[in-house]
Amino acid sequence: MSDVPENLHYSEEHEYVKPADDEATYLIGITDYAQGELGDVVFVELPDVGAKFGQMDVFGTIEAVKAVSELFSPVGGEVVEVNEAIEGDPGLVNRDPYGDGWMIKMRIGNPGELSRLLSATDYKQHIGE
Amino acid sequence: MTTWHLIVEATGCPGAENMGIDAALLREARRDAAFLRLYRWSPPCLSFGRNEPARTRYDLATIERLGLDVVRRPTGGRAVWHEHEVTYTVAGPATMFGSLKETYIRVHTLLAAALGRLGVPVELAQRPSGRVLGPGSGACFAAPVGGEIVAEGLKLVGSAQIRERGGFLQHGSILLEDGQNLVTRVTRGAVAAPAATSLRRLLGRRVLFEEVTEAVAAEARATWAGSWREVKVGCTTEDIAHFADPEWTWRR
Repeated sequence: MSDVPENLHYSEEHEYVKPADDEATYLIGITDYAQGELGDVVFVELPDVGAKFGQMDVFGTIEAVKAVSELFSPVGGEVVEVNEAIEGDPGLVNRDPYGDGWMIKMRIGNPGELSRLLSATDYKQHIGE
Repeated sequence: MTTWHLIVEATGCPGAENMGIDAALLREARRDAAFLRLYRWSPPCLSFGRNEPARTRYDLATIERLGLDVVRRPTGGRAVWHEHEVTYTVAGPATMFGSLKETYIRVHTLLAAALGRLGVPVELAQRPSGRVLGPGSGACFAAPVGGEIVAEGLKLVGSAQIRERGGFLQHGSILLEDGQNLVTRVTRGAVAAPAATSLRRLLGRRVLFEEVTEAVAAEARATWAGSWREVKVGCTTEDIAHFADPEWTWRR
C-alpha cells in the first residue's frame, strides 16, 4: 500500500500539495505511489526560482531508470524555492517523497484551485488502493 | 479499435532527423495514434540520454577527430552507438499499454517473442540489486536493468521511454553486431566495458536488418490488436533543427 497522508491535496497526475511556511506557500512533489511506479529516480529537472505556472502546466521533468516523465503543477503560482538537494541526491524522491524529496515551493495565486484537487480519500480511490 | 501505423525505413537517416521523426510520432501519439517504427542510422551516430552530463562525460575532441554524428535523445538513459542495429520505436496513447512499467514489459515481451522467431534464446532481465546507475554513469549497454532483453546474461536490446501529455514513446536498439566499445572510446576516464551481445554473436552468422524488421512486424501484427497500415512519415524542419542544435546536444 502506498503512503497517502491525510492533510495533503493531490492531482490525478500524482503530484501532492503540502502546506509550507504560511497560508499562501506550498510544497509540491510527487506521491509515494508515483515514485513507486517510476522506480529509482536518477534525475529531476526543476524550474528556476521566480518561474510562474498555471494550474496543470508542466514545471519540470523527472527521469527514472529508463523513462522520462513530465511534472505538472497542481496549482498555479510562482516558484519561490526549489529543492537543490535532489539535484545531488535524486533518490530522496524515492526515499522520502513527502519530506526531503519535495521539489518546488510555490506561492499560489488562487487558493480556490486547491478545491479542484483530490483529497487523500479521493486519491486513494484514484490509484485503486 | 486501434489503428497501428507501421513504418519500416531500410534507408537510414542522420541522428537529428531520426529523433525529429520520433518527436513527431510522440505528438501524434498524444492524439490517439499508434506507431511501430523500425529504422536505422546513416551515418552511424552516437546518442546521449536526455539528461546525461555529456560535456564532462565525453571527449568532444575525440568525437570530432573521429567525425562522429552526435545527437541527444528526448528519452532518458545513457549513451548508445547506433551503427549495426535495428532501432525500434513504439508510440501511442499513454493508456494503451498501461503504466510505464507495464508498457516497458509489453514492448519487450513482444520484441523477445519476435527474436524468438529468429531462434535467439532471449529472456527479460531480472531487476539488479545494488545502486542504480544514473545518467552520468556511462554507456547504455554497460548493464541491464530489470525488464530488459538479455541473452546469455548480456544485454541485446537497450530501450528508453518518455511519457508526456497523454502519450508515450519507447525506442531502443536491437544489436545486429558488436560495436558499443565506441562509447567507451569517447568516454573520459575509466568506464565499465559494455555488457552487450549481438545477434551475430548469438546466432553465429550475419543477421540482416530485414530479417529482424520482418520478425518484429509479424509478431506485432499477431499480438497487438487493431488494424495495421504501412505508412511513410517525415518530420518538420523545426524538429530536425531542435535535435541538430548543439545547444540541445551539449546542454549538459
